[in-house]
Amino acid sequence: MKNCLTGIIFIYCVNFAFAMNHSGMLMNEKGMIMNSNTDKIPKDCTTISETIDVTIRAGHQYALKFPGKMYAFDTQEINVKPCAKLNITFINDDQIRHQLMIHGLPGYLYSEGMFHLELNGAGQLEASVIFPSQKKTYLMHCELPQHMEKGMKSQIKVDGGDGDLPSIPGISFPIKADYYKIDWSQLTIAIIALSILLGIAIVLIVVNYAAKISAMGDKILSNIKPKS
Amino acid sequence: MTLKKASLFLAVCLLILAATGIIIYTFPSQMGKADLTPPETVFNQEKGNNSIVKPCSNEHPEWRPSQVIDDVLINAAPDCSPDNPYEVATSVKGTNNVSMATLMQTDFAQDAITMGEDLDNDGDPDVIHIKLEVVELNGSSPDGDYIINSFDIAPGIQPGLWVYAPKSRGMAVKNFNSLVSNPLLRAPSPSIRVEQGDKVYITLENTHYLPHTIHLHGVDHPWVNSKGEDNDGMEEHSVFPGQSHTYEIQPRHVGTMLYHCHVQTAQHFMMGLGGMFIIEENQPNNWVQTFNIGAGQVRHPAKAVIKNYNQEYDLHYQSIDKKLAHIIQEANDPRLIAERMARDYNITESFENYFLLNGHSFPYTIRDAMIITSENEDIKLHVANFQRSSIALHIHGHKATTVALDGVDQPEALQITRDVIDIATAQRNDIHLKTRNDGLHSYGPGLWMFHDHVPTGTTTDGMEPGGNMAIMAYKELLDDQGMPKMHDHLFNEVFNKDYYAKKQAIWAEGSYAKLLGDAGLLIPKHIYIILFGLAVGLLLGLLLVGVLIIKRNLKS
Ligand SMILES: [Cu+2]
Ligand SMILES: [Cu+2]
Repeated sequence: MKNCLTGIIFIYCVNFAFAMNHSGMLMNEKGMIMNSNTDKIPKDCTTISETIDVTIRAGHQYALKFPGKMYAFDTQEINVKPCAKLNITFINDDQIRHQLMIHGLPGYLYSEGMFHLELNGAGQLEASVIFPSQKKTYLMHCELPQHMEKGMKSQIKVDGGDGDLPSIPGISFPIKADYYKIDWSQLTIAIIALSILLGIAIVLIVVNYAAKISAMGDKILSNIKPKS
Repeated sequence: MTLKKASLFLAVCLLILAATGIIIYTFPSQMGKADLTPPETVFNQEKGNNSIVKPCSNEHPEWRPSQVIDDVLINAAPDCSPDNPYEVATSVKGTNNVSMATLMQTDFAQDAITMGEDLDNDGDPDVIHIKLEVVELNGSSPDGDYIINSFDIAPGIQPGLWVYAPKSRGMAVKNFNSLVSNPLLRAPSPSIRVEQGDKVYITLENTHYLPHTIHLHGVDHPWVNSKGEDNDGMEEHSVFPGQSHTYEIQPRHVGTMLYHCHVQTAQHFMMGLGGMFIIEENQPNNWVQTFNIGAGQVRHPAKAVIKNYNQEYDLHYQSIDKKLAHIIQEANDPRLIAERMARDYNITESFENYFLLNGHSFPYTIRDAMIITSENEDIKLHVANFQRSSIALHIHGHKATTVALDGVDQPEALQITRDVIDIATAQRNDIHLKTRNDGLHSYGPGLWMFHDHVPTGTTTDGMEPGGNMAIMAYKELLDDQGMPKMHDHLFNEVFNKDYYAKKQAIWAEGSYAKLLGDAGLLIPKHIYIILFGLAVGLLLGLLLVGVLIIKRNLKS
């Protein structure tokens, strides 16, 4: 963050209220856009392979379908081709601040390797990002304290991605899982007791009818053998 | 019965008796008596390990001097970690009036403090819109066994905390590879200052995952706002996650008040959701410093304060129950946290383990919670107690005068001068501290300690020196980084995570290292252990044989 303060920003910030530049940073009362890229093609791409328009909504209501979460995006995964361009419409449906950050982008196009949208409250922002050709999974999240941790975490897979990130709601497991109480009802205990008795019974039956079972086994074997 | 049988029986009986005796005598235990020479002293303190913390990182020496930013005069702050002067300037002028270059040097959102109309035409804005978010410090993550948005209150001590924070922007951590909170996100909840008669709109934007409110304790406020909605921040009008609510006030009375959360008040208050709310006297051209981040020195005091005082400080005392604080670090699911905090946790069976002054425990209080002075100064202290227990504030070498209680000025005759000032929970004392070397108000220059004199208050989870201990320092006794001179020895010991993890001996230093280091462990007596094993084996063997014999006898 501090690095962006020098250089680029000052040039744009003089008329920040009006300036709409295609790179660097833009900030006003509504929020801010950092490192939007509509036309700069990554070194390893010759052209933009596909252009996808996507709307990503953020808010606590999108966590409703994920038990144990509080905030989420409405989209947990986006798949794009190598060298694809994403035109993102970011909508915040809460009355508080949310962010949409994509990390791990090439630093020569995106300062600090980061694409960053931030809405100060309910509202909408548009910005674009162009991905390199590398097969990779990118983290897309809101970095407000406890927002990613409580569910506002998604992934963008370029060329199928290089795996899932942990704790994407509905997609991947957490690394540090929560422990929940187990419902030890009387029924559960009865089932366990019955299973134990059944196990003992099976052993007893096997011992008791050992001779008969082995004879039956021989019969089956002899039936199979001639066929082969 | 033959003689042979009888003697065999007797021998067996004697054997059992002997074995039992051996077992009792050689029974292994955790502790034991030393021989003539007790174990050697051992040294648990490794040299140059990564538990050592630099006393002063000296990140921003350029922030210390007195300076003018965007026409705002910012007083000098000689301590190790001075408040960011750009934050001070922005707090004085508002995020809407300050230059973009200044705003970019802070972490404030562009709508954090909006200052509008000058209603009484006296040269300062009187319509103030403040936006607060709720931030979790030292929270947990499903993505690994670590703590995120970390904030160390003392070396290696990271209790879970909730604070109100000015609405911020950008990264909440220092950078993408860091787990450490950005400087705006810290304990305590910031002190807020407004001017008497200002129309103040305080918007709570609940960025947290549990409901909260803002209750303006002692601040003149109508019970409902202009929309007819809750204006008292009570539990039944909780602001839920992702929602916002605006409280409206126009305080007629000046003084040091509070704001705090009134949802599950016992727990949320103890988690850190409370700060000072100070209403300054209405004066012409009086631009007050809306936020004092981290409390402590006010670098741009209000007009009425400057008239009578050289300096102004906010002292925010706060305590933490480590069991309560740990709940948010044990689980990630908000439902589990809600259940464990509201129902499993029982505050009537709780303790206070950490004691903070301005968000830090000693030795970190030395970085940003000192009172720094010269001789013959008049200093105004706003002391607020956010602890569960009372405090008994004692400033070494000084006797100070309480001039206001709970935001009400005391008549001259009731302004008591004393050296232990008791402040119950939620009470505020405005104190006039004089550094006149007259043998009463001050005994002269020094590095005078000041602390809560309740014995728990100077410890960190029982470790002394810790807690809310700090120093009232006379300038000439500080070095160029604002650290007290003549304290190297102590600082070498306590700026160390191992010290507060209780891993190292307290006085293992210099020629006393061998005398007062940790005693080594006792070598177990192997003969005893072998004898014990043999005796137990013998008894078990006898038992087995006995069982077999009885069985055989029963059969025949
Ligand atoms: Cu968010
Ligand atoms: Cu609360």
